[in-house]
Amino acid sequence: MAAAALCPCQAVLARRGGALRALCGSVRGLAAGTQTHFGFQSVTEEERREKINQVFESVAKKYDVMNDSMTLGIHRVWKDILVHKMNPCPGTLLLDVAGGTGDIAFRFINYIRSARERQLQRKLRQHQNLSWQEISESYQEEQFKPLGDSQVVVCDINKEMLKVGKQKAQYLGYSEGLSWVLGNAEELPFDDDKFDVYTIAFGIRNVTRMDLALQEAYRVLKPGGRFLCLEFSHVSNPIISRLYDLYSFQVIPVLGEVIAGDWKSYQYLVESIRRFPPQEELKAMIEDAGFFKVDYQNLNSGIVAIHSGFKL
Amino acid sequence: MLRGGGRGAAAVLRRAAAGGRAASGGHGQQPDPEQGHGQGSARPQPLEPSLLSFLVCPLSKRPLRYEEATNELINEELGIAYPIIDGIPNMIPEAARMIRKKPPAEDSKQA
Repeated sequence: MAAAALCPCQAVLARRGGALRALCGSVRGLAAGTQTHFGFQSVTEEERREKINQVFESVAKKYDVMNDSMTLGIHRVWKDILVHKMNPCPGTLLLDVAGGTGDIAFRFINYIRSARERQLQRKLRQHQNLSWQEISESYQEEQFKPLGDSQVVVCDINKEMLKVGKQKAQYLGYSEGLSWVLGNAEELPFDDDKFDVYTIAFGIRNVTRMDLALQEAYRVLKPGGRFLCLEFSHVSNPIISRLYDLYSFQVIPVLGEVIAGDWKSYQYLVESIRRFPPQEELKAMIEDAGFFKVDYQNLNSGIVAIHSGFKL
Repeated sequence: MLRGGGRGAAAVLRRAAAGGRAASGGHGQQPDPEQGHGQGSARPQPLEPSLLSFLVCPLSKRPLRYEEATNELINEELGIAYPIIDGIPNMIPEAARMIRKKPPAEDSKQA
């Protein structure tokens, strides 16, 4: 895909003006005209991107508050479970796509910090009887490295969300090992075989070309790397499904209006959840991108599901 | 810690420079992010040096060169520059500007 992009690139750039924009349009494969969905509406791909962009620009500041109120704080548990499932060790490179406000990134850093502390404690316990030579060597060693070379890169397509995330990071005191990039999940600005883990939490639903995003995920992961996707999914149990529908369509948009002053964005949210492929279909898409050992874990009877795959 | 970061940064930038353009001696190309940190509010926030080792152009997947003067990431081959705003690089192709012939005709940012 990179090679194909390069040739039209050079041809188009010979001309003036909005060449770059035209190039991007053609790279996305005549995307402008293709019909897709925005919630329950039918729109072109271009329109969809623009609408979603507007949704997130408008909700960015109240994003965390809304998450807490809509899910009654349970989203925190879901995200905790995701990071526990990841079980990263110090030295892991994480790419968090659509990670806007940084929830996964911060949890990752916390997890690494405690893992690192335990690691260092174990090391200390083993080294109780050191010779003077070894002790003096340990003083000359590099600085302490609380994260042990782990890094997380947060990539999001929306500037407002990243701004909120960066402010949160400053406020909560996260600075080391954390980077922010404005980028498109369908066209990641990262080189091949770079990351140990790729996560996308509640973001893949908003990607217009999911297949491209999954291919990019495959590309940037190292061999042996893990793909993790946390997303709203389908409830099979009919009773819970009814209650969930009731809650989604009656309560959530109202909350959206009351708390964020934005009914439409939250209407989009619940509609987009309904339009999203169910567990098995998403599993098939992930397998299509080349991942192996693809599996999913339902949380709360399927309201949310964690899909996992490996690049082998 | 700043000095250590500066040393690491210089090494990374040298590698990026060597990758991005024909070898014209990495030594001439040593923009100093340390200065950026020192002068803080006066200049736009510089890029975190560790990030530069990861970033490539989303279109061609080639390495980028950090241009300190305009605070941009430049892809020499395609002649485009990605802006860095508030320390966050904007890697959306539509937001990049072309540097080949003349100053930016349109500098529209999407996101």
